[in-house]
Amino acid sequence: MPKGLSRITAPLIGQNPITRQILGVCSALAVTTGLDTALMMSAALTSVLCLSSAIISLLRNHIPHVIRLIVQITIIASLVIVIDELMQAFAFELSRALSVFVGLIVTNCLVLGRAEAFAMRNPVGPSILDALGNGLGYSLILILVGSIRELLGQGSLLGVVVLVPVADGGWFEPLGLMQLAPAAFIIIGLLVWAIRSYWTDQAETTAQATPGEQVAR
Amino acid sequence: MDDRRAPFWRFLARDNEDPVKILGVAFLVALISAIVVSSAAILLEPRQTAHLEAERAARMAAMLDRLPGMADILAETGADSLRTYLVDLATGQIVPDLDPDDYDAAAAAADPATAVAIPADLDLAGLRQRAPYAPVHILERNGRVELVVLPVSGTGYASRIEALLALQSDLGTVAALTITSQGETAGLGARIENPEWQALWPGREIADDSGQIVIAVVRGQASSPYEVDGISGATRTGNGVTNMLRYWLGEHGFGPFLDRLREQGV
Amino acid sequence: MTDILIAAIFQENLALAYFLGICTFLAISERVETAFGLGLAIIAVQTITVPVNALVLNGVLVEGAWRWAGLPEVDLGYLRLVAFIGVIAAIVQVLEMTLDRFFPRLYVALGSFLPLITVNCAVLGGSLFMAERQYSVSEAAVYGFGSGLGWALAIVSFAAIRERLRYSDMPAGMRGLASAFLVTGLLSLGFSAFARVPL
Repeated sequence: MPKGLSRITAPLIGQNPITRQILGVCSALAVTTGLDTALMMSAALTSVLCLSSAIISLLRNHIPHVIRLIVQITIIASLVIVIDELMQAFAFELSRALSVFVGLIVTNCLVLGRAEAFAMRNPVGPSILDALGNGLGYSLILILVGSIRELLGQGSLLGVVVLVPVADGGWFEPLGLMQLAPAAFIIIGLLVWAIRSYWTDQAETTAQATPGEQVAR
Repeated sequence: MDDRRAPFWRFLARDNEDPVKILGVAFLVALISAIVVSSAAILLEPRQTAHLEAERAARMAAMLDRLPGMADILAETGADSLRTYLVDLATGQIVPDLDPDDYDAAAAAADPATAVAIPADLDLAGLRQRAPYAPVHILERNGRVELVVLPVSGTGYASRIEALLALQSDLGTVAALTITSQGETAGLGARIENPEWQALWPGREIADDSGQIVIAVVRGQASSPYEVDGISGATRTGNGVTNMLRYWLGEHGFGPFLDRLREQGV
Repeated sequence: MTDILIAAIFQENLALAYFLGICTFLAISERVETAFGLGLAIIAVQTITVPVNALVLNGVLVEGAWRWAGLPEVDLGYLRLVAFIGVIAAIVQVLEMTLDRFFPRLYVALGSFLPLITVNCAVLGGSLFMAERQYSVSEAAVYGFGSGLGWALAIVSFAAIRERLRYSDMPAGMRGLASAFLVTGLLSLGFSAFARVPL
């Protein structure tokens, strides 16, 4: 598989940001109550990820090591704010729905994580591809969790009723638990279990520490 | 070759650990980000406020449309919208010499020079301070008040909630509640903006027989005319709405104005 | 003030009620020791940054803050996010340097966590909540301490559970991260019981 394409496909399962790199988890919880918000957040995050990786990659040779974190954060935050302002001016309806997520995107460890891990060391082209791949991996998880939560919690998908609730004369008793954030955790946990049961090379042995632990040590 | 020796390129050519470069890059990034963000905010502000105003007006119009019989009344009076008055909240009187369209209530509420501090024990809505005057929208027909729309605001679970409360001519029954702005949890508290939930409000009563403001969003199902079904998983948002309404309908809010309106009319 | 403190630790626990800082929460909770170190660092950072951000917000950013300079209408609220992030990064950097210079043993214990804290959404979230609720500087200090303590409590409890689970018999696919997610979900369900307790 050509290098470029593998950059996009690797983060889908093998190096998935949420289930493998443990990045971007915070936002995966609040926005997955419904499939529509999950889709919007996915689109927003993927765009920000690609743009910020591109900009940081362009500047990478001139960012001094000691201030690199704050420079990256400043660039990302400014980008998100400008996108939000532009949307409020030109796509008002859409921005109303997305403004809530703006704060979530700025602090999203995924955007900063990929900037630090990849965009700072690689040219613009590969950085954009890597960003796209990670954005897609993130979106995949978000869409899966969002679909499950909306389907089991309200019996609908994107607002279209699929399982007719008891209240409307059907058979389906909506699972109130799905409305709560802990449900997202539980679903992701089960998803990770399923992924690792099939792709067994991802399973952890008892002696293994997570990447985060290794950094701290 | 000349531009190679220009200061900017020389600066960029410095080693990344050079203190001059560190300070320089930090300063440049900060400056450029600040300029870009500020320019975006300032240049786009007129468009954004225009959108916000349009949206508010649209919500008001939509709310009026949904009220039964309202379209007919509007046609009869020949008005296409309600008349706006500026009310002095402390006295309940209409302020005669200020143009309601020119009055910026939000700015007056934020500016310490003009804002009225709300005593902690009365501050149900968590606003801390409010403007001394507030706009109200009244529909009159044949000298009678048919509808009063009050702008209200309060703190919800995670954000400021703003809404328009429409009262019927008896000034004690809700005609409609329209949420115009909120930033509550998507899928939970944010459902207060759904038409389905707002449809629960028409016909609710705000005060009991003794005159006490008891309107409330309850957990679960409503069991009296003063209650509205809550949204499961969004109790705090519901409480925010309850407290917001109780504050603004009470003595420190529109209470004096509504009393006056009941006694004397406009 | 006490209700702000209690609420920050239990009802509004940044990690288990609002799910802020979850990436670090999941990544650094394999051992109680390291979790404890991170928790202490978070408490320190929160207690300092939230009141400082309150000062910055009220002194520089809100509408009317520049009245003394003859510019009463200047409203820099839109810079709130960037300003908070900048202040947090600066304070963390200063904290790191201070620890290194004056408390070398503490620096060895906590120093490696400080870069992680700069980008921790819980730290920024604490400041953003403070701004939303318009706390005064003293209330902000109490809230900063309480929210940091709550987050630390959550991660240490979580690490203790994970240490126990480490050697238990579970399917290979579930070991590690999957069980961590499930436990976090259950822990937060448990904490949501506090929401019922009236203050």
